[in-house]
Amino acid sequence: MNPHGHAFWWLVAAFCCVWYSTVTVYVAIKGARDIRGMLGRLARTKRAGEPDSERAR
Amino acid sequence: MSHFDPWIDGSIVGVYLLATLIAGVMVRRYVGKVEDYLVAGREMDVYLGIASLAATEFGIVTCMYTAQAGYTKGFVGAVPGILQAVAMLVIGLTGFCIKPLRLSGVMTIPELFQRQFGPRIRWAAGLVIILGGLLNMGLYLRIGGEFLSAVVGFDPGWLEWVMTALLVLVLVYTVLGGMLSVLVTDYLQFVVMSVGLLVVTYLVFADVGWSRLVETVETHHGAGGFDPLAAGGPGWSFLLFQSCLQLAATITWQPVIARLLSAKDERTGRRMYVRTSAFFAARFVIPGLWGIAALAMLTPVDLAGLPPGADPSLHAMPIYLARLVPVGLMGLLVAAMLAADMSTDSSYMLTWGSVIYNDLCAPFRKGPSSEKRGLFWNRTIVVLIGVFLLFFGLWFPLKGDLWTYFSVTGTIYLSSVSVLLVSCCYWKRANDWGAAAAIFFGAAFPVATLLLPHFDPEKQFVLTRLGDNWNGFLAYVLAAVGMIVGSLLKPATRSGAPAGPGAPGESGGFGRGGASA
Repeated sequence: MNPHGHAFWWLVAAFCCVWYSTVTVYVAIKGARDIRGMLGRLARTKRAGEPDSERAR
Repeated sequence: MSHFDPWIDGSIVGVYLLATLIAGVMVRRYVGKVEDYLVAGREMDVYLGIASLAATEFGIVTCMYTAQAGYTKGFVGAVPGILQAVAMLVIGLTGFCIKPLRLSGVMTIPELFQRQFGPRIRWAAGLVIILGGLLNMGLYLRIGGEFLSAVVGFDPGWLEWVMTALLVLVLVYTVLGGMLSVLVTDYLQFVVMSVGLLVVTYLVFADVGWSRLVETVETHHGAGGFDPLAAGGPGWSFLLFQSCLQLAATITWQPVIARLLSAKDERTGRRMYVRTSAFFAARFVIPGLWGIAALAMLTPVDLAGLPPGADPSLHAMPIYLARLVPVGLMGLLVAAMLAADMSTDSSYMLTWGSVIYNDLCAPFRKGPSSEKRGLFWNRTIVVLIGVFLLFFGLWFPLKGDLWTYFSVTGTIYLSSVSVLLVSCCYWKRANDWGAAAAIFFGAAFPVATLLLPHFDPEKQFVLTRLGDNWNGFLAYVLAAVGMIVGSLLKPATRSGAPAGPGAPGESGGFGRGGASA
């Protein structure tokens, strides 16, 4: 059996677990900011596109 | 044998489902136009894109087929994931195809094709996309239900009712909020899913250990479990087919492309590709390890209780997890898997629906329709896809392993649409003759592979003798050859200069002729 094959898959598995743990925390924080930004921009666009009578309501 | 506690674990699952439904329904008020509904007003930023792309491309069904690949092929089962990770990274860095696609401002890929190949090719490409996409998605509900049945331990007779309830829940927020609801719920689902996956992976390592995983692969698969080209491994046909498949999926898989087209600009789309690339390896490697662990820990006696006809390689992983995961964490596992499944279902229904509305229905629209009417039709199409999924998932008999089924059904459109996209972006001579030939030859092999075993159980046909991997690879080769030969055969005309992907599109209708070289 080729020991290099074992080392390769150990590295792949370790990289996936470490990368995934890190990115989960990072995206959980930054993704929430993205949602706020996206909804804010959409709300502004929608308000700008509404006629004055709609906005008054 | 499941450790699922209805009160403790059930409460965790209930809170998750309620939070998702509230979040999904709340954002519906931001939907005012078809563009908001289909591509979130093109306001998605990079981290939301990463969360959404990762959540969409990992469902219960992904977990099941990648675990099955680990069980049946060892570590080599994760090779498709590594290939796609490399493809995502390279394409994200270079912008190959995705840069012109995003810059064109289209909402679907066939819309881009109309600019170079004409409305008939747009319609035909939309048709194969829908055929391949819906056949691919048709089994998601049943497989998801089978996983939940094994892990939670409910009566398999309830499977249809659980599937229906889950689908109705997903339909409620997808129909109301479209891509906006999908993105917001995908974010929640990404967080829940990722925490669940990582916790369960830790439990698996603690239970089995790395050395035993390696020993199990050595015992059951030999060198072929570590190296695809070694004796006993799946060989060159597998590598060639998977390389074509993963490259094509990266540039044309509609749920992935929908994120690119929802990104606020081209640079954001490319950054999303680069930063999500490692996830595409992780989504094969992590459940693959669970599948190997199931192979290590379960005996034939443990699998003896499966219903007649059930595939042990598919059901081993959920049976193993039902025994491994304790009360409390079981709720997290089920919530994570529901999150994975719901994000996939909602996104897939919306993106296939967008092709039906934007491309298949284009010839039947007389002039521009109002935003209100457009939203009504998009919502109706999403509901109809949900109904199709429910019934198709119930009666379709799966033959062979799950990953092969998904590879073959995906190839129906990936082979031709990827060739069309590359040609549309980089080959000015490409025309509608070549595009038609690519669509025909790209779909012919996988459709034949899918249908022939149902007509002839003895598998006497030449196609089925070649094997799924060679058939799949040949579909890509023939689609490319069809494009080249067809395009070169068409006589060049003076007035038919192709518009190219950056030119403004037409609104549809078969009356206009296709562009020629």
